[in-house]
Amino acid sequence: MKRISISPPVAALILAIVLFLLSGLLPNGYGSDLEVAKAQATNILRLAVFLGVIAAGQTLVIISGSEGIDLSTGSVVTLTAILTYVIVNGADEKVLLALLVSLAVGALIGFLNGVGITYLKVSPFVMTLGMAGVVTGAIILINHGNVSGKVAPIMTRLIARPLSPSLQIPNAVIIWILFGILMWLLLERTSFGKNLFALGVNRVTARLSGVDVTGMNLATYALAGALSGFGGFLVVGNTGVVFINLGQPFLFPSIAAVAVGGTLLSGGKGSYWGTMAGAIVLTLITSLLTTMQMPDSVRRMVLGGTLLILISIYGRQRALRQ
Amino acid sequence: MKRSRWDALTARQPALFALILLVLSAVINFIVQPNMFARETLNSNMRVFLPIILMAIGQAIVILGGGIDISVGGIVSIVNTVLATRVGLEGSPDEMWKYIFVSLLIGLLAGAINGFFIAYLRLQPIITTYATSFLYAGLALFILPNPGGGIPASIAALYRDSTPLNLPLAFYVIAVFLLIWLYTSSMRYGRFLFAVGGKAEAAYETAVPVTMVQFSTYVISGLMAAFSGIAITMLSGSGNGEIGGPMTLNSITAVVIGGNAMSGGVGGVAGPVMGAITLGIIQNIISFANIDTWWETLVKATIIVVALAAPGIISIFRRRRS
Amino acid sequence: MAESLSARNIVKHYGGVVALSDGNLDVHAHEVVALVGANGSGKSTMSKVINGVVVLDQGQLLLDGNPIQFASPQAAKNVGISTVFQELSVVPQMTVAENIWLTREPLNQFGMVDRKAVNARTEELLALFEGTFKTDLNPDSSVTSLPPDEKQIIEILKAISFDPWLIILDEATASLDSRQVQRLFELVTKWKENGKAIVFVSHRMEEIFRIADKFSVLRNGRTVGAGNIKDINEKQLIKLMIEKESVLGFLRGEAKSDAKVEKEVSLQAENLTTESLRGVSFKIHKGELVGIGGLRGQGQRHLLHSLFGDVPFSGTVKLFNKEIHFKHPREAMKNGFALVPGDRAKEGLLYIRSILDNLLLPSWRRYGLPLNVNNAKKDATQTGSTLNLKMAGLEEPVSSLSGGNAQKVVIGKWLMRDPQVLLLDDPTKGVDVGTKAEFYALLNRLSDEGKTILFYSSDDEELVGLCDRVFVVYDGMIRTELAGETLTKENLIAASLGVAQHERATP
Repeated sequence: MKRISISPPVAALILAIVLFLLSGLLPNGYGSDLEVAKAQATNILRLAVFLGVIAAGQTLVIISGSEGIDLSTGSVVTLTAILTYVIVNGADEKVLLALLVSLAVGALIGFLNGVGITYLKVSPFVMTLGMAGVVTGAIILINHGNVSGKVAPIMTRLIARPLSPSLQIPNAVIIWILFGILMWLLLERTSFGKNLFALGVNRVTARLSGVDVTGMNLATYALAGALSGFGGFLVVGNTGVVFINLGQPFLFPSIAAVAVGGTLLSGGKGSYWGTMAGAIVLTLITSLLTTMQMPDSVRRMVLGGTLLILISIYGRQRALRQ
Repeated sequence: MKRSRWDALTARQPALFALILLVLSAVINFIVQPNMFARETLNSNMRVFLPIILMAIGQAIVILGGGIDISVGGIVSIVNTVLATRVGLEGSPDEMWKYIFVSLLIGLLAGAINGFFIAYLRLQPIITTYATSFLYAGLALFILPNPGGGIPASIAALYRDSTPLNLPLAFYVIAVFLLIWLYTSSMRYGRFLFAVGGKAEAAYETAVPVTMVQFSTYVISGLMAAFSGIAITMLSGSGNGEIGGPMTLNSITAVVIGGNAMSGGVGGVAGPVMGAITLGIIQNIISFANIDTWWETLVKATIIVVALAAPGIISIFRRRRS
Repeated sequence: MAESLSARNIVKHYGGVVALSDGNLDVHAHEVVALVGANGSGKSTMSKVINGVVVLDQGQLLLDGNPIQFASPQAAKNVGISTVFQELSVVPQMTVAENIWLTREPLNQFGMVDRKAVNARTEELLALFEGTFKTDLNPDSSVTSLPPDEKQIIEILKAISFDPWLIILDEATASLDSRQVQRLFELVTKWKENGKAIVFVSHRMEEIFRIADKFSVLRNGRTVGAGNIKDINEKQLIKLMIEKESVLGFLRGEAKSDAKVEKEVSLQAENLTTESLRGVSFKIHKGELVGIGGLRGQGQRHLLHSLFGDVPFSGTVKLFNKEIHFKHPREAMKNGFALVPGDRAKEGLLYIRSILDNLLLPSWRRYGLPLNVNNAKKDATQTGSTLNLKMAGLEEPVSSLSGGNAQKVVIGKWLMRDPQVLLLDDPTKGVDVGTKAEFYALLNRLSDEGKTILFYSSDDEELVGLCDRVFVVYDGMIRTELAGETLTKENLIAASLGVAQHERATP
């Protein structure tokens, strides 16, 4: 099979556009109404922001290689959302504090993941899965049934609303674009980013070229945790409510988004642009299923199947016999 | 002198450590619950432990072969929902046996699907079985969206009350599987399994049928997950689409406690069986320890993480000493 | 039992790389054929085609004159072809007996593995090499704790355990000591008499002329010559192996300038001990080009890697009289050390990344935040032209480069930092002759500039022609130090085999 030389993020975007056009043909779709189509597209973009931010940390750990993955993302999102909810309690001046706490808590959990993976040699999948359980336990402890809190007006203004009435781009999307640029800078214009890719391609070479592998591991997982924390902050700013399964639905799609975007699940190659495109695709799929009034069970099957197809195309490893 | 003999012993018999843990936890449990070994209590405990034990047997074999199976929980859920809906509370025992047979076929098929992607398409085990776990879990929910259904009371009673020769039914079941493993591991297949898990390239160059062996481990895991699903359905007597979810991590923890190397090629099945029982006993101890309900989830999750990290902690100690 | 195997016009690609373009080999019972060629000539690929591990793209295999195809390694085994590999195919987690009998374990009447029979037959096999083991080797020993030479013997026993008629020894003597090699050759002679055929893949001239009856030479994937060993001598054989007039001419012709070696001691070690080093002591001066010799696997790698902070060690190391003890390559780098590792694919390069990323990997810190990629490109281009690096562009992946150019990238990433101590592990392995000459010139120039260079080479000619001094390492210690008049190939080889018992290199 000839190699298609379209870069994966572009391919993902094309896929997204195709899916969107298809969605217009559905019974509940926009049909030929341009205004409705625009509104729906904007909505999809806005929804994709949250998955996109949450998948940023996932992108980092997957690029770092050695089967890097973060399954604690979902529960960290829920936890930081709850913390934000409680700390802010409707007060604008508490928002910054809540943001910092979210980042710090996320970073701490990520750091613990990193310690288990690096020093205790637990595989990333198992470690983060276990940690997810611990965080969920912590959530139950804090939640005790119900928490009282409220989102601050400034958060809703900054996240859920559009920039200005004439320019109907939601603020969240602008935040996301800025975020994307920062992620690009991190990956392509810092030594952290260069080291991260090196780690993902070949740890031995990286170490022998002076990269502090241990430190990078810890930093990557901590950073991933912090980004998940940021995601939780944004999510609660958008929804205005918290509940125990707030973050969980983002977990699997975050991994799928990274894969769709062309970041190799084996590490060493990828980009955040790809993840952004992947997040849009995944949000489209979910929204399509909702429009078709498919139950959650079908959504799960479709997601599972999609990832399976993706890795069958992109993820095949060396054959035993050459 | 003493230390190196200890090291050599645990290297040769990885299950030794699991045995010690089992005895320790049993002793603590006995202290907290003095009637632990009474026929009723013992039977009750073993009934509850059996599903995880069966799942751990399958997981142990997959991990021995160098892989891992995250989808086992999903398979359990499918089996449970099939039995609960197809047989139902009003069903006849004959129907039950018929659908038990069908469940085993489901397990074999699910395992074969995993095996196909991993052994033949050479996809990474973790991400593949993670994808199929969603697929299978979604299917289970599709079959039974809300908890309900059930199995004939007579079957549930059979499972609950059978104590041939005053020993729990579970003992006999475990004994049968252990005997099967004893025979299989002494065959060439056993050698193949350890070779493939130890170093697949070396096994391939030695003309071991690596692909077939890897494929078979997933089929076995699927089958054992099906047995596990049958056991848990008999235990709970009813259907629940999410029943298998939490079991997956427990099965992996049981294998780790049991002394098997996560990288493969080292360990057995007896160790994980003991590990599964130990895990069950520990959860018993926590229930008896009168911890605040809100803390329970957190404590149990932390113990799991500690158990997963234990091999790493131990090897750090070993290195510090030498 | 078969009588002959032939390979005709074999072609094999690995992705874009051509390993064999015209490989030929004829093997008959009762004889030993030496399969000879430089690194990268296709020797290993040829043996992998013959034993079924690798599928040939074009060409034919003939068994007793009849065409045959191997669908798997098992198929080759079924017709009695067996291989002893370079990369060990033992499973570390299993025991000696389990490894030897894998897939062919004797079974009892229940279909279970017959432990007693396995042990008995393993003992029989082990007895063939009796007296040459250093450890207490028995069927239940775990393989992972064995030294490389004994692991190799297990490989050999495994290969002959099913009484094959064709045995391929692929660089099998690399990790064996002289006694073991002697015993192996005794066995080979016996096998020959019994009607077996042996293919001896090696580049060790002395062994080839000792044991082989015929020879076949591969060069850059093509068979360029074959015949009887008694009709050829070493020099002619080497000439067939390499394309140009050998670099040996270059080396021998170079006038060695003694004046460049300054008196100042730059690098000094005392009782340096690691897992494979048993107390190494030496003094190296600024501007000196010091070589490390000896058979592979005697501790040379650990010597270089411990100096670089990659391997923990005990003992004292001093740099310009200041004590140093690096715990991580980073520390070594900061003190002006550089290491070119022995396996560039696994240790020296990031294969899918660009040439730029490879060259800059240790040095990105110097380019600010955000990274000034233009400056980085400028510096990289300059280093590239200094090294005469042939590439399509800095953005191309390093995998697009030939072996010699890839090795230049490995060296280049260190040269960009202007190191004062250069450690190299077999830097010219798998490098074509033209690039080798460039490397020699480079090393000479660097030592002229006052850099301290310490490098291991498995190529005796290189050590003799290039170095001011050579430490010969055997069994974890510096057995001998050769310099000036004593630095000859004969002395080097003798010391490598541990034959001559000289004093340790005196500090």
